Amino acid sequence: MILLRLISLPYVRKHLLRSVLTTAGIVLGVALLVSMHSANRSVLQGFNQTVDRIAGKAQLQVSAGDSGVAEEVLERVQAVPQVRVASPDIEASVDTNLRDQGKLLILAVDMTGDRSLRDYDLDNPDEDVIDDPLIFLAQPDSLIVTRDFADRNGLKSGNKIAFTTMEGPRQFTIRGVLKAGGMASAFGGNLAIMDIYAAQKVFGRGRHFDRIDIGLRDGVSLDQGVAALQKSLGAGFTIEPPSGRGRTFESLLAIYTTATGVSSFFAMFIGMFIIYNSFSIAVTQRRSEIGILRALGATRGQIRTLFLAESAIAGVIGSAVGAVVGLAFARTLTRLTGDLMDQMFGIPNRVQEVLIDPRFLLLAVAMGVAMSMIAAFVPARNAARVEPIQALQKGRYQVLGAGENRIRRIVAVAAAAAALVCLPLGANRVIFYVGCLLTLLAGLLFAPTLSLALARLLRRPLKWIRPIEGSLAADSLIQAPRRTSATAAALMLSLALVVAQGGVARGSIESLREWMTGTLNPDLIITESAGLSSHDFRFPPGVQEELQAVPGVEEVQPVRTARIQFRGKPIMIVAVDLLRIAARVHRHVIAGDLDGMNRLAAEEKGVIVAENLAELEKIHLGDRIEIPTPTGTLRLPVVGIIRDLSNQLGTIFLERKTYARSFQDDTIDLFRVYTKPGVPPEEVRRRINETLGGHRRMFIMLNRELKDYIMKVADAWLGMTYIQVVVAMVVALLGIVNTLTVSISDRRREFGVLRAVGGLRAQIRGTVWMEAVAIGIIGLALGVVVGMIFLYYELQAVAHDFSGMPLSYQFPTGIVAMLVPVILGAALVSAIWPAETAVRSSLVEALEYE
Amino acid sequence: MSDFTLAPSPLAPRSQPLFAPGDWPSAPSAPSAFGCATLREISAPPRLRVLIRPSFVSAPPGRRVLLALLLTLPALAQDARQIVEEAQRRGRANSQHYEGVLEVTGSNGKVTTKSWQSFRIGAYGDSKVVIRFTAPAEVKGVALLVVNHQDRSSDQWMWTPAIGRERRIALQDRSTRFFGTDFSFEDLEERDVNQFDYRLTGEEAIDGAACWRIEARPRQGKVSQYTLSRAWIRKDNYVPVQYENYVKDQAVRRLRQTDIRNVQGIWTPCVLDMTDLKRNSRTVLRTQKLEYNIPMKDDDFTVQALRREQ
Repeated sequence: MILLRLISLPYVRKHLLRSVLTTAGIVLGVALLVSMHSANRSVLQGFNQTVDRIAGKAQLQVSAGDSGVAEEVLERVQAVPQVRVASPDIEASVDTNLRDQGKLLILAVDMTGDRSLRDYDLDNPDEDVIDDPLIFLAQPDSLIVTRDFADRNGLKSGNKIAFTTMEGPRQFTIRGVLKAGGMASAFGGNLAIMDIYAAQKVFGRGRHFDRIDIGLRDGVSLDQGVAALQKSLGAGFTIEPPSGRGRTFESLLAIYTTATGVSSFFAMFIGMFIIYNSFSIAVTQRRSEIGILRALGATRGQIRTLFLAESAIAGVIGSAVGAVVGLAFARTLTRLTGDLMDQMFGIPNRVQEVLIDPRFLLLAVAMGVAMSMIAAFVPARNAARVEPIQALQKGRYQVLGAGENRIRRIVAVAAAAAALVCLPLGANRVIFYVGCLLTLLAGLLFAPTLSLALARLLRRPLKWIRPIEGSLAADSLIQAPRRTSATAAALMLSLALVVAQGGVARGSIESLREWMTGTLNPDLIITESAGLSSHDFRFPPGVQEELQAVPGVEEVQPVRTARIQFRGKPIMIVAVDLLRIAARVHRHVIAGDLDGMNRLAAEEKGVIVAENLAELEKIHLGDRIEIPTPTGTLRLPVVGIIRDLSNQLGTIFLERKTYARSFQDDTIDLFRVYTKPGVPPEEVRRRINETLGGHRRMFIMLNRELKDYIMKVADAWLGMTYIQVVVAMVVALLGIVNTLTVSISDRRREFGVLRAVGGLRAQIRGTVWMEAVAIGIIGLALGVVVGMIFLYYELQAVAHDFSGMPLSYQFPTGIVAMLVPVILGAALVSAIWPAETAVRSSLVEALEYE
Repeated sequence: MSDFTLAPSPLAPRSQPLFAPGDWPSAPSAPSAFGCATLREISAPPRLRVLIRPSFVSAPPGRRVLLALLLTLPALAQDARQIVEEAQRRGRANSQHYEGVLEVTGSNGKVTTKSWQSFRIGAYGDSKVVIRFTAPAEVKGVALLVVNHQDRSSDQWMWTPAIGRERRIALQDRSTRFFGTDFSFEDLEERDVNQFDYRLTGEEAIDGAACWRIEARPRQGKVSQYTLSRAWIRKDNYVPVQYENYVKDQAVRRLRQTDIRNVQGIWTPCVLDMTDLKRNSRTVLRTQKLEYNIPMKDDDFTVQALRREQ
């Protein structure tokens, strides 16, 4: 403590800015980690809370994916002796069309039998808040809203609100108000209760429910209930507690969570380099102090502890501030993530509060402190090794020892060689990831050598541009390789992340474009919801004939996309008339014969699976797969594997009639419409709107609009990862500022001498600027090279472990081209303040420095 | 509290009017033998009479007293059950039709009124009932089909013309209030006498008429929201005139049956007045144009018929 107070505190005071910059790396890293984690957990918690609150006392739920549960299943469930009460429900969200109110979650239930599962705490029981239960059931426009929603919108019993149903725009009458709290707080209070049979019409569910909620008899355990129901219903139904829905949501969120998690750790990792750099510099600058302390009897352990304690304190402060900043950003990120889940998977989210997980905050702080101490460990160890006599001698302490350099290079070469050996063995995922880490290690260990080499290479062009300033800047970098290389390594890592992410983004976009060009070629796409992924509304089969009858329409292809549980994961079933679709689209075949697979699947003799599902589930051509359906397990051979990007977790293509029979679901999500030659799609759209728009809910997109929409969603998905990339870059740029600040400080005497012998302020300023640009160039060069290698690993990870989609290796030329001016410009900007400090410092003080 | 919730109420006195005769002694729908019954038959049900045998009469006085004490308690219990059975028997009819007006008065004084027509076919315990709402306009055309079973709860369907489809009413929670009235669905079921234990607990006059006061408790295995029900059955015509239902010794519902008329030989209460003692709300059903044993077809008591005759 005494050493901290007497030695460390004055140093921090003297180098306050540098201390702040050092801590800023931790702040940003922890902030990113906390904000991303909090946002993801908040979205998940918001979903789970909604599920819990609307599930009421239901102990189990019976579902059959998006296809729903046929009405007759309800009686089978009710007949199971272990079941005390079984009540169906339908859940869907609608746009309220009320200002700032967003979506309203409709929970449709059978009010005659539902009360034993859910508490409908109505606002004023004495006044019979449901004005008349019989009228509520008899009139399909009946709604019960929450007190919160009613108050926010100035609504009361008897008022009407409008939204678009499958039968076009309709007015709904509020016939009850739920008391605030409990179930009424689900979905942020934007909840409404509707009669389930009315909802079947409103949302186009036919004679299906979304789920059946179950209360078990006293003394029946969950396991017993599940076993009894599974025995009665068969394998085609999912029977699980309401929390199981959260797990499905979580698995959909998983890919995104993993991506954000990796980037967050990357940012913290980059932050480590800044700390390492700062402490390395601090050790060298404080050699005299260390020498004095050692001469006065301080042990090596005390010196090491002193620096580690400093790093721990910096870590605690930085992590604590980072946690606060992270929570402040979490709200915005939560909203963005919620919107993303809605766009990508059609799962609406309305998160009211950001989850503050004290345990995770403590963990984040601990991680920040640990990373800070790990980063400071080597400098602390070096400080402890300083011999008092050497320390008290002034010298060029920034020069790397030849031995140290040699060992580093040997280890780097060994790591690179081992990484190369891992490459052909990459089928084993452990070896693959070990190879990835070895590559990263090799890159980091090579960084000082390469930085030095690049600095030497840059000397000539810098000198050519500005003879004096260029030479001074290059020499500064060459003479202080430790300072330069750590900053360059931090920049290298962040830019490598940008390049790799950019490559994945470009690969994704290219693949998406290629897939859309081949597959999404109808002139019009007609959906029941504004977003393609929402399944809240569905078309009845009769709409196909209505569309076919519209003048100018050549062909209408119905498509049903339903998410089901397959091997415990939520994958997508696409049910279409395969031969008709095949005649119009171009598929990228991975395995099998295109004509043969379509014919066999159309004859119900097989299924076609998407490449990503085959990859993730290790499915091969000819394998017989089992698809659980409400009518029993569908066992069919895989007759073809094609490239398809409909769903990140995989897709199975079924002939429509196979699906309709097996899943007892003949509803439709979207229509692919081809217009007759010579008839403009815009004109056909107008005619469809005129003919059907008045009594059918439908959204009609031109082909171009559809593709734009998909690209927009893809951009939103990729955009979230860019946020972390930006933060990582900011961290790296902070490193440049830090390095330059130290550089200026170290060279105060040098600058003083220059000015004393007639050096102009502009020359000093130019020197600092050129040094900054040179660091930027070195970081850029290293970052692009390492990024290109990372891109390979990232594509492999995406293809084999995340989405199963093999993306082509696309060097992100555009992003790199953009990075060059951005990084060099940022480097210049970050040099302004240090340069001005160098220029404006007192000449006398500068000459007295050291 | 929701209107859908059904205020808890124990064993229900079977009030016949809404759907069908109650399981308890039922007045309206039971074909009555009242016109033929002798006073002795009324006051001494058959099984009780069997108990009074010559050997008992000829026993010594002391022994006679003991035997009387031993026999009296079971005899009274049996008596209560016989009374209930007799009341049900007297209310039997092959079919029934009436027009009903239902008036629900909330605890705040707000009154809602509905009208319907009720059609019933079949004997007690195996009857089928169709109710068609005729007013107000919002519920006009809504119809209910109830198929009663002796050994289990009734099956019920509802037809809602505005939605254009029928629905099965899931009566897993039979304590649910019947569409916002003060009756629960359980209150409307036809009950099997064998599922309850009856006890004659005394005699009492209701509205000046002498009545038996009988208690019924559900037997083990019989699920009911009520733990105890009390009925007051008139001695003169076997019409139950009052029921009280209890949950854990607390009275939760009271049904008064008044305006008793002899319709085609069946003594029938034409006004049923149910009070929810916890909510302090009240439902009054007035029956009009009551007819028994009129020609009806089984085909008119099907789910298809609900649609057909909208």
